[in-house]
Amino acid sequence: MSTLLPFHTSILNEIYDPDTSDLLILSRGLGLRRIICTLLKIYDSPHNLVLLVNATQEEETEIGEELGIMGCRKPGLRVVGYETGTSRDRNFVDLLQSTIPIDLITGIIVMHAERVSPLHLVSFITRLYREKNRAVSTEEYFEGIATETRLDISKDTLERKRADVIEFAQNLTDNMNDIHAAIVQCMNLTLAELRRSKVELDLDSLNLPAAYFSSFDHIVRKQLDPIWHKVGPSTKALVRDLGVLRRLVGYLLVYDPLQFHSFCQSLVESATSTNSESGSGSGKSQWMLTDAANIVFQAAKRRCFVDVQPEQGEVIDLDDDDEAWDAVFELEGRPSEARQSTNKGKGKATGKRPGWLPKEIHPVLEELPKWSLLAEIIEEIEVEIVRMESTVSSRPVKDPPGTNVTLIMCSSTATCTLLNDFLSSMDSTRPKGEWGRRMMLKKLRSWIWWEKRRKMMQEVTQSANSSGKKGGSNIAQEMVRGGSTSGNGNEGLSEAMRKKDRERAAQAASRRRVRGGAPVNNSGRGSTVPRDTPAPGASTSEPGLGQTISDDFFTTDNVELLSLNDDEIELNLMGNMSTVEFSAEFDAHYGLLSPPQTVLVRAYSDDTDDRMLDEIKPRFIVMFEPCMEFVRRVEVYKCSNPGLPVRVYHMVYANSCEEHKYLAGIRREKDSFERLIKERGSMLLPIIEDQRTAESDAIIKTISSRVAGGRRALNLVPSQVIVDMREFRSTLPSLLHASHLLVIPATLTVGDYILTPEICVERKSLSDLVSSFNSGRLYTQCELMSVHYKIPVLLIEFDEDKAFSFEIISDLKSYAKTTNRYPPKKKTTGNPTEHNYTSPTIQSKITLLTLSFPRLRIIWSSSPYATADIFNDLKKDRAEPDPVKAVATGAEEDPEAGAGVNAAAEELLRSFPGITVKNVKHVMSKVNNVRELCEMDLVGVQGILGAELGKACYEFLHKGEGGFRR
Amino acid sequence: MSSSSSSRPAPPVVIPGSGNNIIVNPLQRGNPVLECIRNVGKEYGDIVADYQVGRTTGVLFLSLKYHRLHPEYIHTRIEKLAHHYTLRILLILSDISEHKDPIRELTKVCLTNNITVIVAFSFEEAGHYLTIFKQFEHKPPNMIKERVDKDYASMLRTSLTSISKVNKTDVETLRSSFGSIANIARTSPDQLSNLPGFGQVKVKNIKNAFEKPFRNHATNTLAFMASSPSREPMGNEPHDGVEQGNTVAEPSYKPPREPSPVWDIELDL
Repeated sequence: MSTLLPFHTSILNEIYDPDTSDLLILSRGLGLRRIICTLLKIYDSPHNLVLLVNATQEEETEIGEELGIMGCRKPGLRVVGYETGTSRDRNFVDLLQSTIPIDLITGIIVMHAERVSPLHLVSFITRLYREKNRAVSTEEYFEGIATETRLDISKDTLERKRADVIEFAQNLTDNMNDIHAAIVQCMNLTLAELRRSKVELDLDSLNLPAAYFSSFDHIVRKQLDPIWHKVGPSTKALVRDLGVLRRLVGYLLVYDPLQFHSFCQSLVESATSTNSESGSGSGKSQWMLTDAANIVFQAAKRRCFVDVQPEQGEVIDLDDDDEAWDAVFELEGRPSEARQSTNKGKGKATGKRPGWLPKEIHPVLEELPKWSLLAEIIEEIEVEIVRMESTVSSRPVKDPPGTNVTLIMCSSTATCTLLNDFLSSMDSTRPKGEWGRRMMLKKLRSWIWWEKRRKMMQEVTQSANSSGKKGGSNIAQEMVRGGSTSGNGNEGLSEAMRKKDRERAAQAASRRRVRGGAPVNNSGRGSTVPRDTPAPGASTSEPGLGQTISDDFFTTDNVELLSLNDDEIELNLMGNMSTVEFSAEFDAHYGLLSPPQTVLVRAYSDDTDDRMLDEIKPRFIVMFEPCMEFVRRVEVYKCSNPGLPVRVYHMVYANSCEEHKYLAGIRREKDSFERLIKERGSMLLPIIEDQRTAESDAIIKTISSRVAGGRRALNLVPSQVIVDMREFRSTLPSLLHASHLLVIPATLTVGDYILTPEICVERKSLSDLVSSFNSGRLYTQCELMSVHYKIPVLLIEFDEDKAFSFEIISDLKSYAKTTNRYPPKKKTTGNPTEHNYTSPTIQSKITLLTLSFPRLRIIWSSSPYATADIFNDLKKDRAEPDPVKAVATGAEEDPEAGAGVNAAAEELLRSFPGITVKNVKHVMSKVNNVRELCEMDLVGVQGILGAELGKACYEFLHKGEGGFRR
Repeated sequence: MSSSSSSRPAPPVVIPGSGNNIIVNPLQRGNPVLECIRNVGKEYGDIVADYQVGRTTGVLFLSLKYHRLHPEYIHTRIEKLAHHYTLRILLILSDISEHKDPIRELTKVCLTNNITVIVAFSFEEAGHYLTIFKQFEHKPPNMIKERVDKDYASMLRTSLTSISKVNKTDVETLRSSFGSIANIARTSPDQLSNLPGFGQVKVKNIKNAFEKPFRNHATNTLAFMASSPSREPMGNEPHDGVEQGNTVAEPSYKPPREPSPVWDIELDL
């Protein structure tokens, strides 16, 4: 752990005192984790238990590791992280059951306080904690916020030591510009549409820059929420479309053209397929129908390849294609007089045309301009390193701190793999702009294969023989191999390059740089492995490769899977080290090598980056995508390592949404920072804090005392409610607890809440209600409840801030028509004519439900608070439920009743045909997970589900692979 | 089994329950709801409920505004209703803003009297309910039952979109790149994250759904519940010992709870 900066120390001094509760707001990238870990370390002793709540799973593991590094290996701390790590809901379930030694708790650290609301689980935990822990006065209630505000102390510290930042503004290619403009146009269009459709929206916030942020959806949703159920499907579709478009514009800058193209294809396909099936017009997105969208899709294709007719090349619509060709030529850096030749013999200029390429395709394979820029930067860094080395060796001083590792940071792990691929297969002898040609060809080949398969899928039934050549392996592997076999196909193409490579390798041999690594050290080129498997002996010459991959361990590309494995085994043999700490221990195990000049590609990963920087101590950092947070992180890194020269290369696409987003982000942060300071000036912090905590309790407690509190106190047995584990995700259990009901967590088969031995409640929020009506799940649940309980209750719970009403019945007219055609008399025939009702209203479904279950009661609750009141009311003067019985109810055939359930898996399982509510438990007790079910053969599945259902299920699971597997 | 007609003395005006009309209690004359009942015939008749929308279904109508003025009214009506009808509905028209307390109180009353509450938010909606009750009198519940027969594509879509964060486009991507569900189940997270549109969270959700075991024995509540009465309070635990005592020795109180599912630790990175 590196040193704490002055502002870190002063923060710690402020907050370490356990007698006060503090709220810490820290801007992203300023080392929040460092502070938390130091704080935890202070309380590292057998007599303290500190709860860390509301951290994400990743954060938990990371903090755990960091503490380990800091030397806190006492269980007192580790167990905490561990408990929260196992399951989010566990923590307070444990608290409820008094499993955690509460009297030991010294404090609670709440992370992400910006997400905490009075209804949130965390408030529940703190309340529980207070309740059970009144005797202990030491209480510490931190809220570590990482919002967009900046702490003022830090400013001057950091200002003094700016890292040496070099910014590059790369222009987009013409095609990309076209797409970009078109998408922006689509977004504007959608926004305009949205504005027109809803008057209630706050129009100011609906501008384009705002739409670049992912929080935009959230803002719109928040504004629409009170009326969400009244919002027509078209408006909902518009909001959804904005999300799609935003992602699309992001992908444009990140994905390689082929991937982008196939994403576009999926978009179109899913749009058209749903449209044809659902029949109603709600499926189709409006923007897809515009010209701009057409440009997007066309250009996306044009970036990959151009369709040509092999026989009559001249027939191509020249008007249209002229520009395209020009663009292509420009891209490929070829003079346009070469056009004539290209137009006739495609790909002549690119050398040999690979045999696998279909004739009607001419590969364009535009590359992202940043790639070559990156390559150039690396070149420059190389030169720089050499220069530095020479100067260092001339001076007889000790090495300057830091390693020559070049760190490349990008936004996602997918980009990581892409860059890794690009750098390892780069070929700088080609004209600029197609340095990654080899990789792109590989990708093109797998794409073509994918496309072919997709087409085959559509006529899958008869095409069983067509894929006979693909033997043995399953499709997934095939997919991978698709890329890999192309490596072989490339043989011819790359023959010349390899020669060049070898020459280069000779030059570079002294300098073991990963980039050249793959082709240079190839010993297994002819194998099916796409990347060259490093021969075991060659490991010393490939430390860079090994490190790059291993460090990137979580994200390893499938194409590299094999080579990775080899590397990993090797490394494990040598050091038996954990992959995470690999780079830290790297030097130790390869002690003889000087810090290798390697290139490391990583994705931004929040606070983890701090430790990574500390461990690697890079001198050169390339930020492939702009990230304000990381810039700040680098500043902190530089400050905590005085004397370390750091150079940052910062790449942005000029005039793109990336740039806008970056700038808008900075502006927003500044604004909120200023606002915060202003707010703080007009408020006294300690008072707010006390009020806040007291008030949140007060709201809840006044409600409940009015209802039942006083009388209930006379009761000796506390009033209890049995709550299904899965329900703890909602806010109701917390409120029930707050209203002095004893909440008993259990895994229930029937119902969500058991109030009395007779009353069983199934809770449905409004959206749940709609979806479970649609899926038919509610009917079965009611069926089950009716069987097992005397009073089955459906609780329809509206959200507090949303309107307490259903959607307006708008089209009663069209509805009337259909019923006239089928007068009630004829309906008694029992043949339901569902399709008559284009969309049956929710009211009619409720009606039908009550008609089917006359015993079913419905509770209409306007908010969770109201529900808590009603529950209290209903429980008055009634017997208490028995948890053991409640858990066993309805689970007779299930030997493992009561065990925790993986809700996501169960949901998925339920959706398979052949699986019904009645047999789902049975299946779950027979099979361990969904994957196991998928891998069973027909007989096995039938053994569980019975002949008919088993067949249906099996066929569903394996449909689509017929013909590909043989 | 027209309980209404058999238990009452001879109906004076009209013989109710004759067929396709909603029978309206004369008390309801002038109620705006009547205007909103469309597509179904109405006739007045002497019944205990306000509206008889089926042979065994009776509806009481209550506007909360009225309830506020005459809180005792509904109780007398419920009393009169006695044990008539199998499906007894109280149709509440929520036309005041302070609806929380009356609804709570009415919910309780109805629960004890075996009455199902339906809340409508406008006269139109109330009328719509009444209409549907009549129209659906003999309709089988197929509309809300679990459906089985659908085409493959939509079934696939519903299954895969049941995993959170997975959308239609992703289903298409998955289908075209892997083919079948079984193949999707087999793919590695890396392969998934290489697909367009798949981020870390989505991949994790998918893998959770497919590969995490259904049952997590670490949180078995039944065992805990069964043993809880005999459990001693925590205070008896020797605190002075090593700190492991508090945390590691904990499970000795109840049937062993596995420390944690293996899955989380190894694959959840």
